[in-house]
Amino acid sequence: MLDLRTPTGWFFTLLGLILAALGVFAPGMRASLTDANVNLYCGVVMLMFGGVMLLLARKPS
Amino acid sequence: MFAFPVPARYTHFFHFNREGFRGSEVKLAPVDYLILAIYFGFVLGIGWRLRKSVESSRDFLTAGRSVPVWITSLAFLAANLGAQEVIGMSASGAKYGIMTAHFYWIGAVPAMLFVGVFMMPFYYGSRARSVPEYLKLRFDEKTRGLNALTFAVMTVFSSGISMYALGLLLQLVLGWSFTASVLLSAAIVLIYTFLGGLTSAIYNEVLQFFLIVLGFTPLAIMSVVKAGGWPGIESRLPPVMTHSWKYMGDASQNPMGVEVFSMVAGLGFVLSFGYWCTDFLVIQRAMAADSMSAARRTPLIAAFPKMMMPFIVIVPGIAALAIAKMNVGYALPLKGDGYDYDQAFTTLMSHFYPSGMLGVGLTALMASFMSGMAGNVTAFNTVFTYDIYQGYIHKGAPDAHYLKVGRITTVVGTALSVMTAYVAQHFNNIMDFLQLVFGFVNAPLFATFLLGMFWRRTTGHGAFTGLLTGTGAAALTHGLTVAEHKGGWIAPLHQFPSTMAQNFWIAIFAWTSCFVVTILVSLVTKPRPAEELQGLVYGLTKVPRDTGVSWYRKPAPVAVLVIATLLLLNLWFR
Repeated sequence: MLDLRTPTGWFFTLLGLILAALGVFAPGMRASLTDANVNLYCGVVMLMFGGVMLLLARKPS
Repeated sequence: MFAFPVPARYTHFFHFNREGFRGSEVKLAPVDYLILAIYFGFVLGIGWRLRKSVESSRDFLTAGRSVPVWITSLAFLAANLGAQEVIGMSASGAKYGIMTAHFYWIGAVPAMLFVGVFMMPFYYGSRARSVPEYLKLRFDEKTRGLNALTFAVMTVFSSGISMYALGLLLQLVLGWSFTASVLLSAAIVLIYTFLGGLTSAIYNEVLQFFLIVLGFTPLAIMSVVKAGGWPGIESRLPPVMTHSWKYMGDASQNPMGVEVFSMVAGLGFVLSFGYWCTDFLVIQRAMAADSMSAARRTPLIAAFPKMMMPFIVIVPGIAALAIAKMNVGYALPLKGDGYDYDQAFTTLMSHFYPSGMLGVGLTALMASFMSGMAGNVTAFNTVFTYDIYQGYIHKGAPDAHYLKVGRITTVVGTALSVMTAYVAQHFNNIMDFLQLVFGFVNAPLFATFLLGMFWRRTTGHGAFTGLLTGTGAAALTHGLTVAEHKGGWIAPLHQFPSTMAQNFWIAIFAWTSCFVVTILVSLVTKPRPAEELQGLVYGLTKVPRDTGVSWYRKPAPVAVLVIATLLLLNLWFR
């Protein structure tokens, strides 16, 4: 049976990479109410979450 | 329009109004579409990978009772979490304040504890594959038939309504075609449930849950920080918006127009227990767990994220109202002579998320819609296949036949939902009427299950008459009372301060009359012999004892932890 942690991990890793790349290469993309680099921060969090999921999926439970 | 529909599924009180709604002009970049496409790809991929695990009707419709507990718990939560809930709850947050959190704290958590600790042994321990089938084993054919039929119709209806809401939202906010968004999302849900059945629906619900949390939490954090934290919100809004209990003593003191008794008894007991303890949509997720202990812990573990959901969906709505008062270039859109609260969430998103994260937020909104719809579709195909088709149309066929019927039902159920979405688009009055009737049918349900599970003397005739009387009592209460010009079609004897209060009181009367009539009729009819009730009733069922496992794998300690957290939250926001 498919281990759900694997596709979840890959999905958020991919999402995190896209967002972090936007944050690094297009830091000027901002929404009107905030000065934070939203894409970068959210991307890093998603990369971390995806990584943890993939790590958990590697260990035999 | 859909003001507080279908009380048993009370979280969906979505009231989108097409007239006067001006879109908030959210512009998407190519990267946002890319993120949406990646999500669709993963969802379909999960369905494709799981297609080989379906070999029998049980695999397809009940996930073969093999899903790990962390997955069933998150699916238990996500199946109930529709897009209407996200939009509707943030709208209520902006309109009523933190009091809206009662729909989670009082209106869900106690019932989730009850179903896990006390009722799951009977659902999971009996041979039943669905909630209506439990009613057949415990009572008789007619009680099951009534429940199966009303449930099947209501499920298709609910998923049609949520599809309509999604189509409308995307049309108004993004300018997408109603037909395209409805058909595309229905097609994707259909493909992955058709391929992998309940397992696929449950797996995707968990992915959707993570996306909802990761996609919406940044918005909640940023909007609260912008408003100056919780103290900043408190200083900008009237105190009734930031207290959940303080203004509940009298209905005239709070914008919801409800007082503490009807809130606790109507919402917290009757409606909430009626939904979480009897609705097959959620019970089905717990019944897919791989052991009795896992099934019992499913709603208990789900209670933790459930308690925290208000911070993701309600608090942004409250923050939106505070930010609108700050003169920073954000205003809640207007509708008629007041705010258009339904737009609170989407306008916040477009003001805080740049392209990229905006795509994630939008995808999360679509994900929440899809998880709600897949929940309805998988509950519908199981009840139709096992309780209606196998029960009344074609008994005793080989299992492969029922697997085929289950698959066909999935297609038919989705098609019916799409049709309902179009009916909703054109005939609002019919939808309002149907939602009212379903509310009447659902209100007394919990009395029947409570008596059936804990009083062995309860008879099938008692249960059936009780249900009909309860539904009648609900209709009668609605006919004799008025609130916001609703009801009173027999004689307007009593005036309620709000339709919410009216709904809570309708539920209280329906439950009480069902409870009393079921007892009275049971006392004068012949009970089933004890040996037929093994595993179905308290006292004739071995209560599972989990010995030799750590405390956090036992239901009772987890439940105590949930109660402690719940009390803390209520004290904090009292």
